[in-house]
Amino acid sequence: MSASTKKAAASISFLTVLDQGDDGLFGGYLVLNAAGRPLEFHCTAPVKANRAQQILYGRTLAPYLYGEQIGQTLIGKAKTSPRWICTDVQPALAVRDYVATPVALVLEAPSAVHEEQEESPSSGDSTSSKTWRLDAARETAPRPHAASLLEFELGGFALAVSPTWGDDRETVKSLWREFAGLDLLEPFARIREAIEEAQKAAR
Amino acid sequence: MSEERDAPRRSVRGVLAEAGRPEVVSVDLALTAESFATGWQTAITRSPKISVESSDVTLPPPRSFAVGVAGAPIRTFGFTFPEAALQSAIPAQEGTSPFQHLPASKPLAANTADGKPRRATRIKPPGDIIKLEDRLYYLLQPPLESLVASGEMRFPFEPFPYQYQGIAFLYARYSAVLADEMGLGKTMQAISTIRLLLRSGEVRRVLLICPKPLVTNWRREFNLWAPEIPLAIVEGDQNRRHWQWTNEAAPVKIANYELLLRDQELFGDDGQRFDLVVLDEAQRIKNRSSSTSKVVRSIARTRGWALTGTPIENSPEDLVGIFEFLSPGFLAATMKPRRMGQAAGDHILRRTKDAVLEDLPPKIIRDAELSLSPQQYDTYRSAEDEGVIRLSEMGAEISIQHVFELVLRLKQICNFDPATGASSKLERMEADLEEVAASGQKAIVFSQWVETLDRIKKRLGRFGPLEYHGRIPSRRRDQVIDEFKSNPDKHVLLMSYGAGSVGLNLQFCGYVFLFDRWWNPAVEDQAINRAHRIGASGPVVVTRMLTLDTIEERINQILEEKRELFAAIFSHAAAPSSAGLSQDEIFGLFNLRTPKGPVRAAA
Repeated sequence: MSASTKKAAASISFLTVLDQGDDGLFGGYLVLNAAGRPLEFHCTAPVKANRAQQILYGRTLAPYLYGEQIGQTLIGKAKTSPRWICTDVQPALAVRDYVATPVALVLEAPSAVHEEQEESPSSGDSTSSKTWRLDAARETAPRPHAASLLEFELGGFALAVSPTWGDDRETVKSLWREFAGLDLLEPFARIREAIEEAQKAAR
Repeated sequence: MSEERDAPRRSVRGVLAEAGRPEVVSVDLALTAESFATGWQTAITRSPKISVESSDVTLPPPRSFAVGVAGAPIRTFGFTFPEAALQSAIPAQEGTSPFQHLPASKPLAANTADGKPRRATRIKPPGDIIKLEDRLYYLLQPPLESLVASGEMRFPFEPFPYQYQGIAFLYARYSAVLADEMGLGKTMQAISTIRLLLRSGEVRRVLLICPKPLVTNWRREFNLWAPEIPLAIVEGDQNRRHWQWTNEAAPVKIANYELLLRDQELFGDDGQRFDLVVLDEAQRIKNRSSSTSKVVRSIARTRGWALTGTPIENSPEDLVGIFEFLSPGFLAATMKPRRMGQAAGDHILRRTKDAVLEDLPPKIIRDAELSLSPQQYDTYRSAEDEGVIRLSEMGAEISIQHVFELVLRLKQICNFDPATGASSKLERMEADLEEVAASGQKAIVFSQWVETLDRIKKRLGRFGPLEYHGRIPSRRRDQVIDEFKSNPDKHVLLMSYGAGSVGLNLQFCGYVFLFDRWWNPAVEDQAINRAHRIGASGPVVVTRMLTLDTIEERINQILEEKRELFAAIFSHAAAPSSAGLSQDEIFGLFNLRTPKGPVRAAA
C-alpha cells in the first residue's frame, strides 16, 4: 500500500470563541470531513480572565485567552488532525504559535476586509483601537497585527493568516482543492448554536 | 577746516578772558569709617566646625506575593461522531465506500442560479431527545442544501424547500408520521432521508413495507433518487424470500403487507432486526387488532416511520393504531382530539399543496350533481324501499353487513340501471370526454367496481380506454401506464380506487372523473392526486359525480361533517377530510338502529 493510501481522509476544523460578557468566553471546535459532515465537536465551559490577567496581559489578553488558553486546549482534545484550521475571531489566530497546523482567519467578505484596513490608522483617536465587523453590529477584540495580517482570497472567501506564519497562506491555498465545496463561514453558525444549546442544558 | 575747528576754543578763551581767573574750590573726598567691636569679626575669620553623624537608611526587606495569571484549567465537553470512524477507515486515495464514486465537489456559490440567497435547512433535534450529546449531534449536521451544492448528494431534480424540511424532520426522529397531502413527494423525502442515514452510518438495515401494487413504484423511485443503494425486493417462493430476508448485501429491503403475514415467523424479539422500518400507506395498520398490524408491530426495530396522506380515515383511533407501531401507548383512544393533536404534534408533519406549492397548477373541483334517469329512479326507489323494509324486519339479527349490502346495491343503481343499462352519469361523462379527446388531453375515470368499469369501457371504445384494476395482473400494469402515457390515441384510463389510488404518477392527465364516490374522501383525494401532483403541467379538472336525492347525497353530507374532526387534530394544517363512515353512521343512513341501541339519523 502506498503512503498516500495510508493517510487519513481529509478533514478541516473550525475554531470560534463566543464572548458572552459577564458569563465569560465559550470556545467551540468542530472538525468536518471534506463534505462538511461533522467528525468531532468540543467546547469549553465558560472562561473568564481574572483581574491579574487583565492587568498583566493588557492588549494581549484576547490572543492569550482565545489562542493559548481556549484554542490550544480544544485542539488538543480532538482525536482528528485536520489539514487546516479556520477561525472567525482574529485573536484566535494566536493559537498558531502552539499547533503545527495552518490557521486561517475567515473574514466575512472581501469588502469588509478593505473597510477594516481603512478604519484602523494610528490616528490616536478613541476609535482607532477598535475594529468593527460589517456583518453584524458587534465589536470584535482589537487586532494585534491588524496592519500586517496577510490577507488573501480563496474561492470567494477573504482569508488572512498571521504574518509570523506567512507560509500558511501558500499551504492553505494548496489544500483548498480538497475543500472547495465547503462554505467556510457556515460551520461557525453550527458551533454557535451548539454552544447555546449546551448553555441551555447547563441552566 | 582747522580754522573752523579752532573757532569755538577761541570763543571759550574769550569768555574766560572776559570773566577773569577762575575760582578753585577743593573738596576732600576721603571718608572716615569707625568700627565697633562686636566680636563677629573673629568668628568670621575662624574656620567652621564640621561634625559627622551616621544614620542607618536600610529598610527591612519588602514582603512579596505571587499573582496567578495562568488561571484555572479549562473544562471541556466533546464527543466524536459515528462518521469519524468511517472517515478514518476511508483511505484518502483508494476508497472502499459504496459512495466513493461521487463526483468531485464544486466551489459553493452563495446564491442560487436565479440570484436568490441559498437557503439553509438545518436539522433540529426533536423535543423528546434529552441527552445533550444527542441534541448536539443533530444541531451540528450541515444544512441539507450544502450537501447537494457540494456534490455530496446528487438529486435528479432540485428538491422543493418543504421537501428539505421533510427530510430534516425525518432524519432526527425515531418515531415519525409524514402525513403530507398526496402528491407532495413523501416517497422522495423518505428515500432521501434513508440515503442520508445510510451514509452517516446511523442505519445499516432498512425495511420498507408498502402495498403490493406499489412495490415496483418504490423500486423505480429508489433508482431515481438513490441509485447507489442496493435493494432487495422480497418476493417469490419461500426459499427465495428467505434468501432475500437474509441478504446482507442490500441495506434496504422492500416487502409488501400481504407477504409479511406469510413470513411472520421470521419476526419477533429473536427474529429479524432492522435499524429502520418504514410503513408506506400506514393507514393499513390503523386497526390494532388486525393481523397486519400485529405482524408489523412484532418487527424488532430501532426507528419507525409511517407515511400516509390519510392518518385519520374514520376516527382518531386510526391515529392511535399507527402510534401503536411507532410508540406503543403514546396515544390513547380516550384522548380528546385536541389533546391527541398536541401530544402527537412533534411526531407528525403534514403539509398541504395549497400551503407549500405556490407554483402548482390549480385543482378545479366540479360537482356534477345529476338526477337519475327515469329508469334508474324507478329501480332505485323500489330497491331502497324494499331494502329498508327488509332490514327493519330483521330486528336484532341485523348486522352492518346487511346494511352495507343495501348501500352497495343502491350505489350501483346510481351508476347504471341494472335492467336497461341507463346511466345519467355516463351520459354526462361521455359529453365531457368528447371535449377532452378533441383537445388531445387525457382523463382518468375512477370507480370502486370493476363491473362498472367494464360497462363504461363498452361505451367509451372511441376514446381508446385502458384498464388498471384488480383483474389486471401486476406484471402488466406498468405496461398499461406506459401505453397510456405514450399513445396519443389512448385518452381514457379506467381505474379502480383499490388498484390505482396510491403511488402512481399520472401528472400528464388534465382530467379526473370520480364516477362513484368512495366511502371516505381521503381515498378520493388519493385518486385525484395521481394527476394533481408535482410535475402537473396545467390545471387538473376533477369531476365528482353525485346523484341527487339518493344514498350518495346522504353519504356526502356525513363526510362533510367529518372534515371538522380532522381539523381539530391537525389544526395547523388546512387538511382535507380523511374520515369515513362508522358503523353507527352507516346504520343511520336509513334511520335504523344498531343492535346495541339507537343511532343518530343522518339524512
